[in-house]
Parts: sequence; structure tokens; C-alpha cells
Amino acid sequence: MERGIIVQISGPVVDVEIQSGELPRLQEELTVEREGVLRVMEVAQHIGRNTVRCIMLSPSEGLARGLAVEIPGRTIQVPVGRATLGRMFNVLGQPIDGEGPVPEGTPVQSIYRKPPTFEEQSPAVEILETGIKVIDLLEPYSRGGKIGLFGGAGVGKTVLIQELIHNVAMEHGGYSIFTGVGERSREGNDLWREMRESGVADKTALVFGQMNESPGVRMRVALSGLTMAEYFRDKEHKDVLLFIDNIFRFVQAGSEVSTLLGRMPSAVGYQPTLAGEMGELQERITSTKEGSVTSVQAVYVPADDLTDPATATTFAHLDATTVLSRKISEQGIYPAVDPLASSSRILEADIVGKRHYHIARKAQEILEKYLELQDIIAILGMDELSDTDRQIVGRARRLQRFFAQPTHVAEKFTGLPGIYVPLRDTLESFEKLVNGELDQYPEAAFYNVGTWRDVVAKAKRLEEGEA
Amino acid sequence: MRSDRSRLSAELRSAREPTAEQQQRFTEFLSKKYHRKVPLHWEADESLKSGFRLQVGSDIYDWSLDGRVRQFQDYLRQLQAGHEDLVPLMKQAVEDWTLAVMPEETGTVLTVDSEIATISGLDHAQYGEILLLSSGVRGMVQDLRRDKVSCIIFGDSEEVSAGSLVRRTLKTAGMPVGDAFLGRVVDALGVPIDGKGHITPSGHRPIEAPAPGILDRQPVNTPMETGLLAIDAMFPIGRGQRELIIGDRQTGKTAIALDTILNQKGKGVVCVYVAIGQKTSSIAQMVGNLRRRGAMEYTTVVCAPAGASAALQYIAPYAGCALAEYFMYQGQDVLIVYDDLSKHAIAYRALSLLLERSPGREAYPGDVFYLHSRLLERAAHLSDELGGGSMTALPIVETQAGDVSAYIPTNIISITDGQIFLESDLFFAGQRPAVNVGLSVSRVGGDAQTRAMKSAAGTLRLELAQYREMEVFTQFSSDLDDATKRQLNYGQGLMRLLRQPQYAPLSQHRQVILLTAALRRVMQDVPLEEMEDFRARLLDYIEETAPDLCRRIDITGLLPEEDREEIVELSRNFAKTVWPGGKRGG
Repeated sequence: MERGIIVQISGPVVDVEIQSGELPRLQEELTVEREGVLRVMEVAQHIGRNTVRCIMLSPSEGLARGLAVEIPGRTIQVPVGRATLGRMFNVLGQPIDGEGPVPEGTPVQSIYRKPPTFEEQSPAVEILETGIKVIDLLEPYSRGGKIGLFGGAGVGKTVLIQELIHNVAMEHGGYSIFTGVGERSREGNDLWREMRESGVADKTALVFGQMNESPGVRMRVALSGLTMAEYFRDKEHKDVLLFIDNIFRFVQAGSEVSTLLGRMPSAVGYQPTLAGEMGELQERITSTKEGSVTSVQAVYVPADDLTDPATATTFAHLDATTVLSRKISEQGIYPAVDPLASSSRILEADIVGKRHYHIARKAQEILEKYLELQDIIAILGMDELSDTDRQIVGRARRLQRFFAQPTHVAEKFTGLPGIYVPLRDTLESFEKLVNGELDQYPEAAFYNVGTWRDVVAKAKRLEEGEA
Repeated sequence: MRSDRSRLSAELRSAREPTAEQQQRFTEFLSKKYHRKVPLHWEADESLKSGFRLQVGSDIYDWSLDGRVRQFQDYLRQLQAGHEDLVPLMKQAVEDWTLAVMPEETGTVLTVDSEIATISGLDHAQYGEILLLSSGVRGMVQDLRRDKVSCIIFGDSEEVSAGSLVRRTLKTAGMPVGDAFLGRVVDALGVPIDGKGHITPSGHRPIEAPAPGILDRQPVNTPMETGLLAIDAMFPIGRGQRELIIGDRQTGKTAIALDTILNQKGKGVVCVYVAIGQKTSSIAQMVGNLRRRGAMEYTTVVCAPAGASAALQYIAPYAGCALAEYFMYQGQDVLIVYDDLSKHAIAYRALSLLLERSPGREAYPGDVFYLHSRLLERAAHLSDELGGGSMTALPIVETQAGDVSAYIPTNIISITDGQIFLESDLFFAGQRPAVNVGLSVSRVGGDAQTRAMKSAAGTLRLELAQYREMEVFTQFSSDLDDATKRQLNYGQGLMRLLRQPQYAPLSQHRQVILLTAALRRVMQDVPLEEMEDFRARLLDYIEETAPDLCRRIDITGLLPEEDREEIVELSRNFAKTVWPGGKRGG
């Protein structure tokens, strides 16, 4: 095995001088031993005839110049296949669930692979029911498509992604891979326990590189999870669900090391290679003729700024986007989906059907009109509105409240049991609402209920309570 | 090891010229140690009275009188004190001590800035190692370049000058820890600053330690009661949770943290308060307050005031966390307050810019998220195998003009398990604690609430959020129907109920009684201005008439249907005695 030595350390970026033989190629892994623990780094740049610049995938504390570095001559590899199901891994593919190593003979795959070619693509056109009213109606998800959940800090991305796991993954026959990128370790623990309890563990693999780990880990862990999903798609021809929480952390980790790699910063201090890095990852997450990958990605919106380069770059890669808004969560409406900012590529009459399309567009029109009227209301008051406009305001406010829906995973905070609303009921209820058939019920009756029948029942309860 | 090793040479200094035999022994030692022939030069040095000093590259072997004394001093420092008989220990130590043949690596200061020094030499210095600069000032390695080392300075940079000698300590930054720290005020290096004498630590912990892994944790399931009705009812905090306290300056952020510390009295919780970048006088005032109320017994204050160097402000929260970890890994429950992390981010920004790392959003470096995520992830509820201890973190962040969506606030919101947002409008309107119900959230605390609190608080939060929205919407309407008016009144009453003065924590049964009565609309007709008075008298009345009920709630944490009905019944009776006529106001 060839050897090198460390000559420079700057946080997570380490320069290694190669003493003999060929230089390791970019993306190859190097290892250094310190106090009996093997630490891993990855070549990012060649910066001279015999020096490479590497990114640490382990902490840098305790490293010193002059330490010997081993060059195993391969990229990072993770185990793939059925042996990964029911297990929990770190970025290097090592099990972290305390249940010993993966069995001997488990196939391994490099985390670096080429994206499927143009010829292999298989675009998605079928609706995937989630049981969440606002999503199924306004931005329906597609089977085999790519879904993004955008939201600032604390507006409910993780709750929504967990609700989707609950509603979709548990019903889904195929395999699911959950990849935690730079999120809370506590959530990892919660998810691990929940998987065990709900009995879906044998169809699920978990991969974690959480926010306490070094940027190199957070940059690569999405690839580790993706590689496991690709194997099921390509070799076992399965329909795979891939959850990534949170893809923004991947970009963020890249920007943490970028300047230390000696690259000039781009807009808002991000790495100049932002679009390329995102493209390389996103192009691999796709459905092919071999099998499908339905991916749900949470995207953090830093400083609530949707024009942030990281967020803006992600938008282009997705089939359906659900935007969560702080203004709506402030009103106590969960999931805090912004019905006008969210969109789906499959909300077309040809795909979802004419009826669905018209109900959805009609609901959006009402909300849009209400948004316009809000300025007038603020200046002149409700009394100045025409009867038609007042009717629109009333329906819009009922719509907003009707979008609120108790989720299964938030049951423990809200005390309200979660509700799954089948698409058929969603359409029927909203059809009645936009056509004015429910105008006689008070606004409060629409808040946190399931179908229109529940509205009627709640209205009755409210009436009795008041009397 | 490095390419210039091939040109290695050794310099020997002593007062008298070594004999040929001595020269021979040195040459042998060198070739054995460095695996090659090293040319040896001798130079006379009158300042060394006896012995030799041998320098090879940046390694120094010091057998001069000074060097021996220093080695002996270092050895004595390592001795564990705390024994009753000091003299035998000393005697034993003197007998055991032998002069070691170990190289001491030194370097020379190249440049000094207000916070940073660059140093040449120190070939083997580790990343994160503590260095000893001239006149006892310490520094920490932040950057290892090919030809130089950059370190941040924990002290007065005026005392460091270019050309002065730097020694390694072979230790990465650590914090002395131990039970003796309770009741004390220390700086970011663990040195007491309260004038109460030396602290004997029971150990050291690195200030940068890995956070507990995914399997090392268990769900948050025990409440960390703040004693504040608004928080315990709507945004309950559990042991092991990270809950951000955020708001403009002067909105009562520190007051909430302080009340929480005070409320831990007698609950077996150890508290650590880390003050970063604050006025020393306000810290002194706060410590006085804690001491007066008997809370210092279980509290340590770690202090890096505004006047401390940016390096000290940068490590202070990690040092505090190391201390808290000591207690957590002993199976205890710890509460740690970081007051505040916006100043911490600013100190780190200063260091990063001085280290020439390029700026990003708001001129913060790219890794400012990691700065806080690796700190806050160290708070956890440990699994039973690890002793089941917990560390609850209450970081504080200051916003500008109520802007929660600025960079540092959103960063930290995305790390913590919820936030309590304090609003200056509410604060000045007399609504204190000035909690904004819509923007505050607790993501895990619900699991940690006792059943009694959970069933008493019910859907209070959602009702208040809807009330706020309706209040805004209806302010433009002239004619309101009765139902809406009643709902607005009810909401106003609830808001009034949540007002609570500082230093007046409410015990669990008191909170349960108030919430149960209020949500069953017993207080619907109490005029707003009499709410406070009514509240106090109601509690006294129930505690007097049904002491068993109160005790039962505190002990079991349950609220069965019959108890709930009893509370409603009693409070209705009480309301009737106050206003025999029944309804009033409205």
C-alpha cells in the first residue's frame, strides 16, 4: 500500500504529500490512523506534482503534520442489497445500529456512479395518493417522480416528511431508504424506534450523517443513501422510495469546505460549483426503465429566502414542490402549505382528469382573488366589499382552514388523532366548497377536520356548544 | 519526515566545551533517534550554568539547570492533589522523579494580531492543541500550514511579541470539571473569578467532544418545568431538549432562563449558565440574584464577558458544555443556558475573518452553522445503558427589529427542537412573558408533559393562534356577531391569564387548576383588570378546600375525569361567591 504524509491542516481540509508511486485520483479515499481509530478522507484536488488536497470525513482534532497516510486505492464503498434492510448506516456504510457488521459477501458499490442516460429515462405520469388534502388537490405527487418540500426553519418540513413516510412508505409494497443529511440526531433516534415499532423495518434502510458530523460527512451521505436505492432499482427492478432530509445541508456542507479548498466564493458565499454538485446528485435520483425511484426531499430555506442560490438551484430538479410558509404556520394551520407558491408538473387535465383539474384551479382562483382583496379589506374594511367579493372572501377563508389537517406524527403534540383523506373524498369535499354548497357552515367548522361530512358534524357540535 | 529533514543539523549549547567522549555519546544518540547521521555543532553559552541544551530542527532537549527545573515543575503539576498527607506524597514524588530524555518542541512567534498569532516551528503540533506563549498566555491551534501554525490567543495579545518562544502542551483544549464547580463563577478556561479560591477539579474533559450518537439517545420523556404557565402549558420543554429563546433586546429572554434555573430548586437538576459577550456588571447582578434566591448551590456560571478576547468568547459555550457533560455522563439531569449565541457567532466571525477564511451571508463564514450544530447536538437524553442522564439546552438569540428570518436566528431554529419567540410589542403592552403564540413551538416537549398538564392544556395553543388571527381580521369590521365577540373576549381572557411576574414560578397543580378552569370558561366573565387578583384568590381557595387534590396532581401527574370535574365545580363555586349575581361584564 502506498503512503503519504500530512503536510497541512485547515479545519476539515487536509493536504497530503504523496511519498511514492502514483497520485491517488480525485474522489479516492485515504486513511490515517490516530490512537487506534481509522480516520477517512477523500481526495478533492491535486495541487502540485506530489500533493493532494483532501476533505476529512472524520474530525480533524488531534491530527498533526507528519502523520502517515495510507492509500487503499478505491473510492468510498457502501454495502447494498437486501442485507441493508432493517439496518442503520453511517456515510461509510458501517452499521451504527449496534447489531454487528453486515454479513460477509454482501455486495458493495462505490458511492460515485454515472447518472442514467437519456435513453434509460422513464418519466412519471401516475398520481401518488398521500392522504393529505392540500397536497393531493393542489400539487399531486407522481409515482416515480421527484418531490421537494421547501420551508424555512421550524415550519414543519420534518413533520410533513415523517407523515409522508407514515402514509406512503407504510402502505407501499417496495423498499424505502431514508437518508438523514445534517439533521438532528434526536430525529434519527425517533425514526429508528418508530421503524422498529411499526414493523416496516425489514423493508427499510436508514443512512445518517447528522449535523454534529464534519462537513465532509454531510457532503457525501446523500450519495451513500442514493447508492443503496440505485441498487434496488437497477439490480432488483424494484420501486423504491427515497427520503432525503435535508438536501440543503448537502449544499451547505459543500460551501463550508469550498473556501478552505481555495475556491473563490460565489453569490452569498456559496461554492462556485453549486449548480454542478447539485446536478450530479439530482440527475442520479430518477426513474429508469429498470425500476422507479420516488424521492421526497426536504429543502431548508435559509433565512426564509426562497431566492437563496441553494434553494433556487434545487427547484429546477423537482417534479412537484410543496412550499411551507411561516405566515400560514403562524395561523396554526398545519401542514403550512402555501397553496399558491406550491406546484406540480402533473396537475394537468390529461393526467389527473378534468374534474380534479377544474376543482384545483377554481380553489387557486378563489385564494388568489382573496389575496388581492386583502389590501382593500385592510384599507376600507369588509363592509365596503361587494356581495360577490364577500362570498369569495368567505370561501377563501373556509378553504384555508380546510387545508389544515391533523397528522398522525403530530398527534403527540396536538392531541388530535391523525386523519388520512382518500383522494376521492378530497375531491368531493373541495368540489362542494368551491361551488358554495358549504357556505352556510361557520369558518371554525372547517378547521382541522377530514371531509365535508366532518365539517357538517363539527358545525353541529359548535352550534350545540354555543347554545 | 519532511523534505528538509535531509539537511538536519544539531546545535549543542553549554557553558564549557564537551569532552570528546561526551561528543561521541551525543552523536550516537542523534543517529539512533533520527535514523541518520546528524552533524553536530557546539556553541558556547554562558547563560547555561550547568548541563547542555541540544536543538535538532525544532526539537529541543533541555538538560540545562533551567530545563531540569521546568521538567520537575511539570511533573509536580501532574500530581493528583486532594490527599490528606501532602508531605509523603511530595517525598515519594521526589524519589520517583527522573530526568527524561524527551524532546521539547518549540516555535517562534512570527506575527501577532489582536486575536491571532502565527508561529514557525512546532512541527508536530496537533490540530486543536493548546500552546503556551510567552508570559503564560495560552493559545489554541486553528490552522496548520506547511511552514507555519496559526493559533487564536486566549488572553492579552499585547503580552505576546514577535520572536518570542512558544512551547507545546501536548494537550488539546480541555476544561477542568467536577462537583466543586457548583456554586462558582469561572472563566472560559475554568479558572475561578469569584474570589472564592482555588477549585480542585476531579477531572478534565475536552471542550470539543463528539455528540452522543443516534443509538446513545432515548426519546425526551421527562418534563423540565420552567414554572411559567405560558411555556409549560403550550411549549413544554423536556429533559434533553434544545429550546431556543429568541427575541429583540429587552424582551425578557434572560428572565425566562433565570426563572427556569430558579424553578429547578429541589428538583435535582444541575444548572450551567454560560454568559457570552455580556456586560460584566449584568453577570455580577445575575449571580447575586441567583445566590440570594439559593440557586447558586446547584449552578455554575461560565463567563466570557464583552471584554474577553474573541477566542475566549468562542470557546466559552464549548467549555460550559464540557462541564455539563461531566454531570450528564454521571447520570444527572443538567440544564445549560447559552446567553447568547448571536454574540458567540460574532466572535467566531471575527476570528474567521482574521484567519482569512472567506465570508458568506452577512459576512459569517460558511461553517457558522456547524459551529452551533455541533455544540447543540451535545445536548441529549442519554440511553439507560449510558446512565440515562440528560442535558437540556436553552440557547438564547437576539433578533434585530423582530426579524426571526435573519441568518443566525434561522440557523439556530433549524438546529433546536423548538423556539420561544418573545415580542417587544407584547412586552410593552404588559403581556409578560411576551411569548408570541403563533411563532413559538416545541417539537418534542409534548411527550414530556405529564398527563395532567397535557389534558389540562388541551388545545390552548391552537385556540390562541386562531384568536390572534381573528383579532387581526375583525379589527376592520364594524358589526360583529355575538359568537365572534364572545370568542374574542374569551381569547383576551386567556391571554391575560398567561401573564406572570418574574420570580414567581407556578407549581404543577396550580398550573393545572388555572388551565382547567380557564378552558372550561369559568373565567369567561371575569373583567380583564381583575384577572390577576381572581387568579390568586382562586388558587388559595382551592388549595385550602382540596389540599388532597393538589397533592395528588403533583405526585401522580395524572388528572382523572373526576378530579377535573372537582376543579371545575370548585372554581364555579368560587366564582359564585365572588359575584353572587352570576354573570357580570361580558
